[in-house]
Amino acid sequence: MEEPKKKDFRLEVLIAILIALVSLTTALATWRTASLGSKAGDLIFKGLLDAVKRQAAANEDWRRAYQEAGYARDYLMTIDGLIVQENSTDPASQEHAAQLRTYLLTGMESLATPLGTDPSYLAPQGWLDVQKRFDELEAQSPDLSSLDPLASFSLADTYFSEQRWLVLGTILIAVSLFWLGLSQLSHLRSRILILVLGITVFGIGLVWSLGVEFVFFILRAGVV
Amino acid sequence: MLVLTLLNTVLIAVVSALQVDANIRANQANRDSQYAAVQFTGSLIQAGARSDYDLNTYSVLITNTQEALVAEYSALQQQNINDQQGFEALTLESQIYQARADRVKSLSFLMNAPAYAPASDQVSPNMTTYLSDLNSYSLELVQKQNDASDAYHHWNNKSDSYVAVLTVLAVAFFLLGVAQMTQPSLRSLFSLFATGVISIGILWTLILLVF
Repeated sequence: MEEPKKKDFRLEVLIAILIALVSLTTALATWRTASLGSKAGDLIFKGLLDAVKRQAAANEDWRRAYQEAGYARDYLMTIDGLIVQENSTDPASQEHAAQLRTYLLTGMESLATPLGTDPSYLAPQGWLDVQKRFDELEAQSPDLSSLDPLASFSLADTYFSEQRWLVLGTILIAVSLFWLGLSQLSHLRSRILILVLGITVFGIGLVWSLGVEFVFFILRAGVV
Repeated sequence: MLVLTLLNTVLIAVVSALQVDANIRANQANRDSQYAAVQFTGSLIQAGARSDYDLNTYSVLITNTQEALVAEYSALQQQNINDQQGFEALTLESQIYQARADRVKSLSFLMNAPAYAPASDQVSPNMTTYLSDLNSYSLELVQKQNDASDAYHHWNNKSDSYVAVLTVLAVAFFLLGVAQMTQPSLRSLFSLFATGVISIGILWTLILLVF
């Protein structure tokens, strides 16, 4: 009578140790799954902030490029009018043109630089190449224009994918905890069967989770 | 009862995975929607700055052309009343305005782009096509944003519903636990209740998967 009772006690201790181990693994796997979701969320937040910053900088660059284009248009138009005045036979008109060139055009030129003063900004079709000026303005603030929200989103997607796969492992581990608990409570002959089932499910869940971690560690080139 | 418990655990595992997946898809769609909204505001600002410049350039062209014409007509009138000095001054003014108009015409996108340029000086540029092209990217972004927003609501509702299914299945777990602990005469009754609740969970999950 003593021997079966002793055996039962040893089995209960073994199951208790297993339950503690699996509980700890479940907690760890749950934490990791939640942390992956959190990392993905942080990356999305960073990506959206980068998108807003980059777009705000681009908006300002477009506004400035078109404002400069307006100054350049007015400058070039004024020059052509002045040339007609300068070429006229009327001395008063010539004098007027000279005064305008000295006092008005200098200020206009400073506003119209570089679109109105550098011929390379004229597109082959004749209009001002505002896109070229915009690209230059973007290049002047590389800290903002080089922000890449899509890179953050792409990295977030890898964390989401890992979370998706890891949650399966976490569920298997959690399910094994249920079976181990059931084997501890059960006094039926099926107790060993339930225990083996629990250990098997736990093993599959653990191997699955470690495999997922390893694969995504490689895919992200060492980034945890 | 063991089979029922096993079925319920498997079902919970599947629904949990589906819930996580729906939640991830909702997050991604929400992100796409917000990103498209940021791009849309940028597109509107660019289109606004561009149309402001293009239309203003066209307006300057029209103004200078009209000023040149008016000065020319006035010069002819002065010539008719034998005011030679007035004729020459107004002719020069007309030439100045015409030179300005010519330059602005060469700078005008609306007057030179083949898609919008008028066939002759008597007609206006194709404003309808110009405005349509100008706003096409913004409209595309709005469509993208709306689609992503709809996808977000779709997946978010699914995710919420999966949580409800999980709650139902947790109730089934509780009923199975009670059945396990209770006296044999009541065990079947609790198992029956649990079966009913599990069936509701399965049915609900299938409905969510289909729609």
